[in-house]
Amino acid sequence: MNKLIVKKAAVLGAGVMGAQIAAHLANANVPVVLFDLPAKDGDKNGVVKKALDGLKKLDPAPLANKDKLKFIDAANYDEHLPLLADCDLIIEAIAERMDWKNDLYAKIAPFLSSTAIIASNTSGLSMNALAQGLPEAVRPRFCGIHFFNPPRYMHLVEIIGTQSTDGSTLDALETWLTSRLGKGVIRALDTPNFVANRIGVFSILAVMHHTSAFGLGFDEVDALTGPKIGRPKSATYRTADVVGLDTLAHVVKTMQDTLPGDTWHQYFTNPGWLTALIGQGALGQKTRCGIFRKQGKEIQVLDLAKQDYRTSVGEIAEEVAAILKVKNPAEKFAALRASSHPQAQFLWAIFRDIFHYAAVQLESVADNARDLDFAMRWGFGWAQGPFETWQAAGWADTAQAIAADIAAGKAMSATPLPGWALESGRTGVHSAQGSYSASKNAYVARSTLPVYQRQFFPERVLGEVAISPAQTGETLYEDDGVRLWRNVAVDAGIGIISIKSKMHTIGNEVLDGVIAAVRQAEQTLDGVVIWHEVPFAVGANLQQVGEACAAAQFDLLEATVEKFQRASQTLKYAQVPTMVAVQGMALGGGCEFVMHASKRVMALESYVGLVEAGVGLIPAGGGCKEFAVRAADWAAQSATPGEVFNYLQPVFMTIAMAKVAKSAAQVIDFGFGKPSDTILFNANELLYVAIKEARALADAGYAPPPMARAIPVAGKNGIATFEMMLVNMKEGGMISAHDYKVAKSAAIALCGGEVETGSLVDEEWLLTVERRLFVDLLKTPETQARIKHTLETGKPLRN
Amino acid sequence: MSKQIQEAYIVAATRLPVSKRNGMFKNVRPDDMLAAVLKSVVAQVPGIDPALIGDVIVGCAMPEAEQGMNVARIGLLLAGLPITVPGITINRFCSSGVQAVADAANQIRLGLADVMIAAGTESMSVMPQIMGNKMSMNPAIFAREENIGIAYGMGLTAEKVAKQWGVSRDEQDAFAVASNQKACAAIAAGYFKAETTPYAISESLPDLKTGLIKLRERTVDTDEGPRADSSMANLAKLKPVFHAHGSVTAGNSSQMSDGAAAVMIVSEKILREHNLTPLARFAGYAVGGVAPEIMGIGPIAAIPKVLKQVGITQDQLDWIELNEAFAAQSIAVMKELGINPDKVNPLGGAIALGHPLGATGAIRIATLAHGLKRTGGKYGMVSMCIGTGMGAAGIIEAL
Repeated sequence: MNKLIVKKAAVLGAGVMGAQIAAHLANANVPVVLFDLPAKDGDKNGVVKKALDGLKKLDPAPLANKDKLKFIDAANYDEHLPLLADCDLIIEAIAERMDWKNDLYAKIAPFLSSTAIIASNTSGLSMNALAQGLPEAVRPRFCGIHFFNPPRYMHLVEIIGTQSTDGSTLDALETWLTSRLGKGVIRALDTPNFVANRIGVFSILAVMHHTSAFGLGFDEVDALTGPKIGRPKSATYRTADVVGLDTLAHVVKTMQDTLPGDTWHQYFTNPGWLTALIGQGALGQKTRCGIFRKQGKEIQVLDLAKQDYRTSVGEIAEEVAAILKVKNPAEKFAALRASSHPQAQFLWAIFRDIFHYAAVQLESVADNARDLDFAMRWGFGWAQGPFETWQAAGWADTAQAIAADIAAGKAMSATPLPGWALESGRTGVHSAQGSYSASKNAYVARSTLPVYQRQFFPERVLGEVAISPAQTGETLYEDDGVRLWRNVAVDAGIGIISIKSKMHTIGNEVLDGVIAAVRQAEQTLDGVVIWHEVPFAVGANLQQVGEACAAAQFDLLEATVEKFQRASQTLKYAQVPTMVAVQGMALGGGCEFVMHASKRVMALESYVGLVEAGVGLIPAGGGCKEFAVRAADWAAQSATPGEVFNYLQPVFMTIAMAKVAKSAAQVIDFGFGKPSDTILFNANELLYVAIKEARALADAGYAPPPMARAIPVAGKNGIATFEMMLVNMKEGGMISAHDYKVAKSAAIALCGGEVETGSLVDEEWLLTVERRLFVDLLKTPETQARIKHTLETGKPLRN
Repeated sequence: MSKQIQEAYIVAATRLPVSKRNGMFKNVRPDDMLAAVLKSVVAQVPGIDPALIGDVIVGCAMPEAEQGMNVARIGLLLAGLPITVPGITINRFCSSGVQAVADAANQIRLGLADVMIAAGTESMSVMPQIMGNKMSMNPAIFAREENIGIAYGMGLTAEKVAKQWGVSRDEQDAFAVASNQKACAAIAAGYFKAETTPYAISESLPDLKTGLIKLRERTVDTDEGPRADSSMANLAKLKPVFHAHGSVTAGNSSQMSDGAAAVMIVSEKILREHNLTPLARFAGYAVGGVAPEIMGIGPIAAIPKVLKQVGITQDQLDWIELNEAFAAQSIAVMKELGINPDKVNPLGGAIALGHPLGATGAIRIATLAHGLKRTGGKYGMVSMCIGTGMGAAGIIEAL
């Protein structure tokens, strides 16, 4: 396999997908030329420039930070085709018209480099047919590369080879997409809509069909088909509104046109109400009206019986809610089947039909059941794919129930289940040997591509042998809070500290554990990595704080804060390198650990922030101290050493507004990380890389930084200048009196206390200042009310 | 009437077109802008030997960085004035330009000089933040409740004024639309031509394609701020900036700008010796203080004073340049003093034309002197509010 090196890429088509794919390439520091048609009036790059402007406004953000936009050049087909010569990867993402795509291929062909990979982001056109539009010499380097919207966040990329695609091209592309872009790649077969859309859109159609059959409301169905069954919060109809009802209708029409032989074909049609909505211009979120709409603060839903909107309620019947709470999947499915409640019947029906459809189509759409299940997890955000769910529900019983319903004419299609699904003794499709391939009638193991060796704990389908990190490696130390372990086969000298608490909250026991584990590592290891599965840490254990507050144990709280500070300082000044491997949320105290480590290896999708202000507190696990120290360091490198205020200003806003960095790039921008940190696009590679980096630091003769001393602080003038900002915000009705107090405390901590500007202090001084302010805030009724409210509701209180 | 030895006469008044912040003057230094207007004003009175200039007084509200180091002296040397001509930079925030005119005129009126130049220069593009390069507040401000107004941003003070004087959002937006319409009409009619010194911008820009430095040269002669498409509907879309439930928006506030102006003032002796026709006689100037948290109302403390000093009534004013820091405060001042709106800012104000802080006063003196001459008016006034709670008003009489 030749390594794919993408020094530069091109994306053809600056529509919703093209522009966002370009953005994600830019996130990975790949320079991109983004093409579209020349604008009819004005600047010929106008179409692309407008799309680039749009990238800045989209939420969730396609760009890891705004700087990434610099990596994207706007281009048009009239003037810039010669630029393609330097591009190693060209992704076509224009509208789904075979004739348009062929025209474009003919236009670009003369300009392509002889080694470039050309890939189409088509979501369902025949790749083999598309290949015919390219010169023969290009075809071995041509394949499908199907991203999901939004491409930065959706893990799935389906790659589709044609009869002419060179196998090593696909291997190189899969490797690159997996590691460089952080994607979950599956190989799809060249069938209409490939895997995820084929199964996922069928699922939507099945839900629509049964919504009507059981006479349920759209809001009711969304309550049933969301997180309660392991699907995204936006469930079915809200997702349709977000995607756009016109887009959904288009996809359904494509299925209708391209799958005439599918025995479910009669259902590949848009319901009358959907067509009517589109006719009225109610296209969903983009027109602020679709299946749902917002009237003032109220969410309303279309009620087909009333032919009007009504308040969205979406209640699940108690009896059904109780069934959904059953832990054992087999019992849960049996109970759903047994219940006569329409909601339960509905749920069984949608599962039955998706199981049925997936089983029948498996042979033609995917190599194996694992690919299909991952496609649904990564492309549609399901917690489990259909086969996993079926397997968990008890394969044989469920298969019999499906077969019985088919025989009774209850299923959407009379097509029988494939023979393999009804084989006696079958307990599922995923096993220790691999996942079932209907086309090969065999269990297929995972890919052996070397890139997957970088993933020590890859995502597993249910039924596959899963190795839990907690049961892996050699335990070197363990207490209630953490486990220090190592994987001798990987590096016996690098320890891994894994926090054991739920969501990795940091309580007393974790602080004790971290301090003890690092002390042990200093004696016996060359370095440590703090790693565990996502999230990194959602913050301090607020429950412990709330309870101590309620008992007025403020001395105890101060002692805990002091311990927190000691844990942070232990990470910073350990005699061995301390790496943090960050993914997902690292908030509050979690962020402070991140800040104090020797170095950070972060997944792109890291959400890091000092959010203490939300509960009426300031960072006091060394967070304010660390920023005061860093501001002094930054100022020391400027023409005005000692003038620290300008460096504190953005930091103050970050803390006072509890701003969260929404990518690893922003973690560095916000100052939580450093430019020398490592950003990984595939979170599954974190541990592999963190161990390597810890080893490299150790082998390079790691020494901790000297304890910061003689730190110039912004002092009284700095505090007053921050207070000026706060006065304006308070008088401007933007913050409450308590927000003011909390933010002023942050200002005092960042400025090193109410001392003369430019005073020289040490870290202990700064830690004492932030700790005392923290405890003072804890004593206020407003902060106590915020903590209580957050513990009870999970949401912040503005008081 | 104030006591004086002799009259002071404005014989030339000119300004550059005003640029939006980071607009056409993004790469033009404020000391270069100043040098340009100084050269121009001297050239407009060719008979006078520049060595006779007693002093160059320059207003600047943020005299630091590119406009620091006594920008007056640097600007006059860059303008090629004799090294014997001194220069001083003065600062009374937004009134610095008209303060410079008053200070220069007073030198003449006291008989201390026969030829003076007053000027103003300000580049808000070079300021990294609105409060200058280094913000540092005095902690004592927050020690006493009555001083907290010092810490208020200007926009917040405008909100306070709007509330206290009952100025609605619609009134403010309508005032802003009118300002833009008047400014656009004035530009179309060429009314600013006489007072404007075109500026030749020369920019050395990297041409990344060729690896060479590209020289971009152009001459600009028109204010950049006015918006022909300003409308109530457009302005209604803007959210309040300074108060969560306020009425002051970016659209009904003055624009941040870059600009410069210079005025030559001479004694009667010089008029006679050089047979000059003055544009106007400097008639008077006054300042007064108000509470910092309602600084926008400042003109009410200055206007009655200057009218008394000059010995005329408000009705005798033909033209009033009432600086539009915010529509809210302009309207409140007009309401409070009963000023006839028809006489206010006939060519638009700072909402449309821009407000390069310390230069604005001198710029509007140029507008007023030329405007009175063009329209045959007699008395005209320039007035403005000033941060931390002051007002200034200066009156000239066209001759």
